[in-house]
Amino acid sequence: MKPSKNQLLWMYSAMAKARYFEDTMAAVYMEGKSPKFDIGAGPVPGEMHLCAGQEPCAAGVCVHLRPEDTVTATHRPHHQAIAKGVDLKKMTAEIFGKKTGLAGGRGGHMHLLDPKVNFACSGIVAEGTGPAVGAALAAKMRGTKAVAVSYVGEGAANQGAFHEALNLAALWKLPVLFVIEDNAWAISVPKSKSTAVADNSVRAAAYGIPGVHIADNDTLAIFTAAGEAIERARAGGGPTLMEIETYRYYGHFQGDPEVYRPAGEVAALKAKDPIERLRKEMIANGGVSAAEADAALAAARKEVDEAVAFARQSPYPAPAEALEHVFA
Amino acid sequence: MILSDIAVPEGLWDTSKTPEGVVANWFYRDGSTVEAGAKIAELMVEKTVFDIAAPAAGELHILVPKDGIVRPGTLIGRIDGA
Amino acid sequence: MASKSNRILTMSHAIAEGIANEMRTDPSVFVMGEDIAAYGGIFGATTGLLAEFGEQRIRDTPISETAFIGAGVGAAMAGMRPIVELMFVDFFGVCMDAIYNLAAKNIYFSGGNCKVPLVIMTATGGGYSDAGQHSQTLHATFAHMPGLKVAVPSNAYDAKGLMISAIRDDSPVLYMFHKGLQGLAWMASPEKAATEVPDDAYAIPLGEAKVVRPGKDATIVTLSMMVHRSMEAAEQLAKDGIDVEVVDLRTLVPLDRATVFKSVAKTGRLIVVDEDYSSFGVTAEIITSVVERDPTVLKVKPRRLAFPDIPIPYSRPMEQFALPNAGKITEAVRESVKKGR
Repeated sequence: MKPSKNQLLWMYSAMAKARYFEDTMAAVYMEGKSPKFDIGAGPVPGEMHLCAGQEPCAAGVCVHLRPEDTVTATHRPHHQAIAKGVDLKKMTAEIFGKKTGLAGGRGGHMHLLDPKVNFACSGIVAEGTGPAVGAALAAKMRGTKAVAVSYVGEGAANQGAFHEALNLAALWKLPVLFVIEDNAWAISVPKSKSTAVADNSVRAAAYGIPGVHIADNDTLAIFTAAGEAIERARAGGGPTLMEIETYRYYGHFQGDPEVYRPAGEVAALKAKDPIERLRKEMIANGGVSAAEADAALAAARKEVDEAVAFARQSPYPAPAEALEHVFA
Repeated sequence: MILSDIAVPEGLWDTSKTPEGVVANWFYRDGSTVEAGAKIAELMVEKTVFDIAAPAAGELHILVPKDGIVRPGTLIGRIDGA
Repeated sequence: MASKSNRILTMSHAIAEGIANEMRTDPSVFVMGEDIAAYGGIFGATTGLLAEFGEQRIRDTPISETAFIGAGVGAAMAGMRPIVELMFVDFFGVCMDAIYNLAAKNIYFSGGNCKVPLVIMTATGGGYSDAGQHSQTLHATFAHMPGLKVAVPSNAYDAKGLMISAIRDDSPVLYMFHKGLQGLAWMASPEKAATEVPDDAYAIPLGEAKVVRPGKDATIVTLSMMVHRSMEAAEQLAKDGIDVEVVDLRTLVPLDRATVFKSVAKTGRLIVVDEDYSSFGVTAEIITSVVERDPTVLKVKPRRLAFPDIPIPYSRPMEQFALPNAGKITEAVRESVKKGR
């Protein structure tokens, strides 16, 4: 399965947008937190988990998705939210805790929910696997061709909920794609110290479903494998497990001193940046011109800048609004 | 009276990127007696924490309190070793 | 050695030192949890332990709470004294069975023939915008389960003593430490949370509340971070000649109802302050404990300040609106003192 020119440009745009968003957020997050880093201070307080480097995992999968397909994600959700088409202004406003945010400021960056594009994320590891199975179940019961994608990290592959969800999806032959973003570190613990197998895609055999392993953060390989899995799911062929070897440039959370990370690791990863690789590939072999690529990049950055400006200018909720929307 | 300076060491962090740090915690009250080498304070620069040890034994005098801003060379306290 | 006795420790270091004290004298004590080894625990509770005790006794685990807390129960029943860290109390959902159906009940199911000397330590608390799944305190959730002791220190000195007691206890103990009290360089904490801590292995018995500020006009019963907010309120009120007694519960199970009652019998006015959700919780339990023993000790209606019954909002103005604080506590005390009834 090869991407069309439009798909290449779409993926490049989604990845560049996510990267610029993350780099922008890294700077915004530090506002008000210098010289003393106080996690509760500044316009974006609390925790911040950035995904720079992991963009292919979102773009290569979500390029195949429609608004009626469901994506569940984790505490590191920005690239998937962007690729799924979550309203960027409302998402950014939510991260800033503003009244104009997706949840009026109630959720924040780990709890971004946008029912218009069926996107939800959560701060509990592996928690999104169950809901993805549920969305797939609903699609099957209603007879639609919608699918669900559940994103987890490699650390989540050792959590009970993950295994229960895979078994249930396999048993009921549901249209789900489980994607493991293996970014090598579960906070400070490397995969070799947490997981009994080197490659989580082999665990698919335990559930009788296909397992795919993607090496080296390869956007086009993700595109192909995800495309096949999603087609199979839409056609009633059941779930697939995919593990993508990816990497995060930033720490687990902003403020993470990253003492566990070997010196030079991040620099080496940046030398093979996936967005640069895709750009080169799509210009060389995809029929995309440098001018088109530049235009896509500029448009992506502009959208991010406008979203951040919107967030900054938006008002905070009135404090007593905290009491609203507990129940439907 | 032998006064020893407790100064923020030079070269602890890349000041071109982050010129300042803060005193994150003192581990003894002003006027306490401390042993040479005891961990008496910690500094924080961005997200990294540095331990500060007492350069000598004696009575601690705190000059820069918790949350105070520091740079390399800032005198944060003294030990009176008399 | 003079410098050791006036040495101040942050609460995180006090917890780690309590664990180290016991690990040095008892080879059956070991620690398991996520990022507790090289990282020293996300909230510093195991700082320095890997270097001293090595990776056989200080074990990083996968993200598998049900497995490693269940394993903690099993190891405890097999003669070890495990300390297991649940990184955020909010994560209890994925392993609650191991805690409340397994750890809390096996002594009973064995008719006292089995011991479960397990400590589950966990980080609680909000106020720094970590939103609904990372800011909870959940005191009531765990205090409510028969078979589980619950310790809740408010400062470094108590933290070390309570941890040592928890480790020595043959029953399972849930040890809840507030993140905002740990003295972490990257999170604001009250100055008085860090205290002088002796370096010997002293134990503070579970089940003993402490009157941290004697007074005669009103009693504030509280725990954890809210001890500090209550003390701020007490200082404010003292300027207006209102003398408040502050009781730090220190342990929820066993609950020191005697100390609470004695204080309220003295002052006649009760205000309970808890960061946990309001309904069906600690505040209700304290008030009921007094009223069912003797409601006539109360000169005015009791009051409670707690988090409203809502998921914890992310946005700062909303979270700060919801949290109890010194201002609200001061107001509540003034109301109690003012009224005839």
